[in-house]
Amino acid sequence: MKGTVKILVAGVGGQGVVFFTDLLVEAAMHADIPVGSSEIYGLAQRGGSVTAGITFGEHTHGFLEKAGVDILVGLEPLEAQRCAAYLHRGSTAIIDNNRIYPYAVNAGMEAYPDVEKFIEFLKENIRKVVYIADDLGSLEPAVRNLFVLGKLSEEETFPIPDQYLVKAIENIVKPGSVQASLQAYKAGRRNNELMYPVKKGW
Amino acid sequence: MKNKVVEILTSYSTPRQVSAIGNEAIARGALEAGVSGVFSYPGTPSTEISEVFNMVCNFQSNFENEDDYPQLIKNRVYFEYSINEKVALEKAIAYSIGNKSAMCVMKNVGMNVASDALMSVTYQTIVAPLVIVVCDDPGCHSSSNEQDSRYWGNMASAPVFNPATPGDAYRMTKEAFRLSEALRLPVLVRTTTRVSHSRGMVAYNEIRPAIRQPFFERMPEHINIPARTAAAHKKLLEKLGSDTVTPFFAEFNRTYFPGNKEYGIISSGVATSYLLEVVHRNELSEKVEILDLGLIYPSPENDILSFLNKGFKKILVLEELNPIIENATRKIAQVHRVETEILGKNFGGIGSTGEFSLEIIDTVIGAFFGQKTVKYKEVEGLESFSQNLPPRPPALCSGCPHRASYYALKLLIPRENGEVILCGDIGCSGLGALPPLKMIDTINHMGMSISMAQGLAEAMKEKGGKVIAMLGDGTFFHSGVASLLNAVYTKSNLLVIIFDNRTIGMTGHQDHPGATHLDKYNQIEILPLLKGMGIKNAEAIMPFDMKDTYHKIEKALATEGVSVLVSKAPCVFLPEYKEFARQDAKITVDHSRCNTCQNHLDHEIYCSRRGSSQSNLSRAIAKIKADKPVDARDLACPANICNHGFFHSILEKDYKTALDMVRDKMLFARACGDICHRPCELFSGHSPESIVPVKQLKKYVSGIEANFRDFTNAKERIRHSAPKGKSVAVVGAGPAGLSAAYDLVREGYQVEVFEKEAAAGGLIKYVIPDFRMDKTGFDFEVGQLEELGVVFHFKKALGKGIRLEQLRKDFDSVILSLGMGKVKPLPAVADNLPANRWSDGLAFLKKYNNKSLPIAGGSRILVIGGGNSAMDAARAAKHHHASNEVFVSCIESLETMPAFEEEVKHARDEGIVIMPSSYAHQCLENGSVTVVLHGYISRSLLKTLEVDYIVVAIDQVGETGDYAEVGAENLSEKGRIIADEHNGLSNLSNVFVAGDICAGNHMSLIGAIASGKRAAVGVRQQLEGYNFPYEGLNALLGLNGKRKEQHASLPFNANGSLTEFLSKFNLFQSCEKCNHCIDNLGCPAMIKADGKIVIDQAKCTKCGLCIDVCPNDAISWAENGKMESVF
Repeated sequence: MKGTVKILVAGVGGQGVVFFTDLLVEAAMHADIPVGSSEIYGLAQRGGSVTAGITFGEHTHGFLEKAGVDILVGLEPLEAQRCAAYLHRGSTAIIDNNRIYPYAVNAGMEAYPDVEKFIEFLKENIRKVVYIADDLGSLEPAVRNLFVLGKLSEEETFPIPDQYLVKAIENIVKPGSVQASLQAYKAGRRNNELMYPVKKGW
Repeated sequence: MKNKVVEILTSYSTPRQVSAIGNEAIARGALEAGVSGVFSYPGTPSTEISEVFNMVCNFQSNFENEDDYPQLIKNRVYFEYSINEKVALEKAIAYSIGNKSAMCVMKNVGMNVASDALMSVTYQTIVAPLVIVVCDDPGCHSSSNEQDSRYWGNMASAPVFNPATPGDAYRMTKEAFRLSEALRLPVLVRTTTRVSHSRGMVAYNEIRPAIRQPFFERMPEHINIPARTAAAHKKLLEKLGSDTVTPFFAEFNRTYFPGNKEYGIISSGVATSYLLEVVHRNELSEKVEILDLGLIYPSPENDILSFLNKGFKKILVLEELNPIIENATRKIAQVHRVETEILGKNFGGIGSTGEFSLEIIDTVIGAFFGQKTVKYKEVEGLESFSQNLPPRPPALCSGCPHRASYYALKLLIPRENGEVILCGDIGCSGLGALPPLKMIDTINHMGMSISMAQGLAEAMKEKGGKVIAMLGDGTFFHSGVASLLNAVYTKSNLLVIIFDNRTIGMTGHQDHPGATHLDKYNQIEILPLLKGMGIKNAEAIMPFDMKDTYHKIEKALATEGVSVLVSKAPCVFLPEYKEFARQDAKITVDHSRCNTCQNHLDHEIYCSRRGSSQSNLSRAIAKIKADKPVDARDLACPANICNHGFFHSILEKDYKTALDMVRDKMLFARACGDICHRPCELFSGHSPESIVPVKQLKKYVSGIEANFRDFTNAKERIRHSAPKGKSVAVVGAGPAGLSAAYDLVREGYQVEVFEKEAAAGGLIKYVIPDFRMDKTGFDFEVGQLEELGVVFHFKKALGKGIRLEQLRKDFDSVILSLGMGKVKPLPAVADNLPANRWSDGLAFLKKYNNKSLPIAGGSRILVIGGGNSAMDAARAAKHHHASNEVFVSCIESLETMPAFEEEVKHARDEGIVIMPSSYAHQCLENGSVTVVLHGYISRSLLKTLEVDYIVVAIDQVGETGDYAEVGAENLSEKGRIIADEHNGLSNLSNVFVAGDICAGNHMSLIGAIASGKRAAVGVRQQLEGYNFPYEGLNALLGLNGKRKEQHASLPFNANGSLTEFLSKFNLFQSCEKCNHCIDNLGCPAMIKADGKIVIDQAKCTKCGLCIDVCPNDAISWAENGKMESVF
């Protein structure tokens, strides 16, 4: 609330939710912004749902609550939708259409949700929606999250300035992948035509 | 990684602000306190603490770092992942007794394993400080219970710290070493998932390692004997009540917002963090004073009492899980007669289960203060989007060897009857309980699987059935091994499968006695250990060798006593896996074989195969078990029966479905079982050993009388067909016409059949001798047509009561299945012999069947002709009287006779003399009949034969009246009606032809049936715009073209086990309703898109399991080559 910004990162085990969180925390440290995070990843490597909370500001420790998240970062649309109730009217949702089908969908027992409907609803009801509908063609899957980070960095309610994010990438990412990561991050910042409108027929 | 180690090992003379998760903070606290030995067992949420020390240990033992970081390796920390928590704590205690400070780390349930050591050491003594870190898991994010481990402090009389934040965790761990040293007691630091996995700011300070020399001092306390215990207990409690603890209470039990407040809240652990956030954002600090308890055992009675005496209006106690502090507070209030209202569990929705959250604390604070709390504006209708979404449970990784073992088990163990009980265990192997594997019936705690299995085996003894214990290698070493010893010693009857992937997978690949990926320890092989235990039936399996795994498990299941299989292949995360799997190759899916039906197009909506996974399993089992793979398309039936579905229904002992699959395509299941010449077998090109005996199976399933009498499904099909409002006349009620009628009536056509005889059945009914087939069964099958709604008109033939022209007007379509009921006369016989000395074959057989043959016993009979009718006639002559002598003369050689080899063989076996390559040159009647036979090729005298009777069974032709109606211009030279080979359409626009009279048709029952079906498809194409060709067409046309291989299938003994006989065959074919891999394997790299399987190459780990799994043989390596094991 006053003076705090809360971010929820949702994804699938193996997608790098924890790494994404670590990056944000590292960047906040460089920017001298009080930061806390809280993660649940017991079975993360086995492809289950993973969420993490990152909070900026005093008197908050990474804990989230329903209708209490300012920015939802969905690295996978179904997992983003699973966290829908955490959004409030003033929230921003950044959702990457990087679909990973859970077993029940693959087995034909359940349907993958209608993401378009969800995005349309969000557009009507929250402050802002950034939907990354493209398959990001040439971008390596490993650095796809950095592209999402680029999008996040351009969000006006996001408190960490660009240079600290760059510094965090340089510090945390494995030395061999820094260049590719920075490139993806910058592509995310530049590449605005992917934001609106939502592409039909994806 | 290195940066992190350097950071955590560096001593900071000025505090350094670091962001750390609770677990890292604990590790740093211990390092600053000078810990010199860490003993642990991995387990979420505690693992990261141990991982720090594992990294530290590796860093310090890497000699390269000696020069670069001399300061950081100076104070070496010993670290080990012990075999289990009990050993870890015991060794930590001993380490302390050797005068080295120690820490022991575990998760909540690990404390239960270690508790034996804890419960008595407090009565005795430690020497150097010993801190035990135990991480609870409220909400059970990754644990088998949400026990409150704070109780252990009370139970064992050991102090307990309960941090609220990573910062607390750091400070408390550090100070716990000091308190432990002061009291000479182990001290517990108890965290929860939310603290361990939260990241916050922590100030790292100086590392001041205590300089301790290794030293063992003999002390009476080191010997625990009952005589000393009572006194020791008293002394222990005195220690806890001593002033030594007081400064620690002062340091870790803090008050927030002190002052003259209305409300008081006592809270502990992560509850304090939630509480402070809610208090701050609601600006309640003016109203409330908070007592945060960090050192919760010994019970901070003085702190609580002075808080109770502050004159609050009411007091709220907030703690996750059990009301430990609340009960202590209520006790103190009662003893000291404090009247203030105390609220705790059951107030404002807080309970003793699950994890607290901001929402819960927000609600309870609202209730406690009686005011609305500040909140963001919710979005109405948003919550519904997050409901009823597909779940995403964790799953075994792509390439996980556990999946291979579970899959083999799945094929072997029918889950419906529950006769085999599957006891699973903790760890990755426990994921086998989830869909689609679902191969676990019980999971309890670490290592219980083997005890559970032996206990159940004992309990189930009278009932029988096998019990299987399944556990990972880590779990086996942790505690399963002791249980296995018990099983051996008590002569239990169970199968143990150890999933040996050489690591502890679930928590992130830590060491254990079987781990190979680090060379710092001795590696213990499980198999020799088992042999050493005296287990004779112990074998290793390589789970990706599916056939071998299957057979070994099958064998072990049949073995009495203790048998153990070590399923050994590396975890996909281990470097060994890369060598193990075929990294160079790619797996591809042939979509033409994946979920594609080869057999459905003529009746596309009807497939008798059930959609159950059971039928998928029988196909998959056949793939693994059988040694003769036969593509069902090789066994193509002209009537387009799905031999593959038929076969697999029989494998499942579902004989009714098998029969219905035949009847889905044709009426004459039993007749075909009797007399079909089985082109599907003969023309397959397979050797006798690999021919699936389709005809014998057909006879078997149609021989089950109750099923045979049940035509419900055929009738059901009519109910589901839309009436077409079209009528079809079928002329000729032989098998061809009746087959067309059967297909059309089930598709909703009105069908009327015209027949010249007084009953339906044609040549089959009148001519085939009754010793070859069950005539009653045939009549029953034919009789069903009337039940299905076909209208019959008997004693009508073209030109006799009906006219083709009229039929073409009265009906939308006409099918002519007139048959060829006349035998061509042979002048040498007809011109020279009186009528009582000879007969044509068809008339002869008719008379045989109605028992009016005018031949006395002991007669000599010559049959002229080399076809099947000749063989029938010859055999009928023999069957008529066993004393008859029967000869057959034909112009063909034995090899080229048109009769089926089997028929010839039957005839010869019955004593009939066959004279091939001969013809009757002359016949004379002189009391008897003298026949002069000439060689067909030599054209010279072969033999003169004296006989009593001659049967002429040569070429058959149609009735003259029929030909007249059809018109000569529509006939071929051989007296057949010209028709399109694709649909049986004649030159007349709405007239179709089927059966023997149809040009190019083959004279056989199945050929007649198939051409009837073809004509039905033709009618449908014409009348309802049906788009598909007749799918049995290739097989039908092949009847004439292909050379007969004449391989007989091996006979099976119907009294023996049919399933066992068939288990050597895998009759496979791609099936549209397959879905086997998705239903039973669930590899995360397999995606089903647009009905076909796609391999997600990014996720595929190239294990190749799916190749062995696919019953359709649709999956393969893109390149040739074989996977080899590195073991």
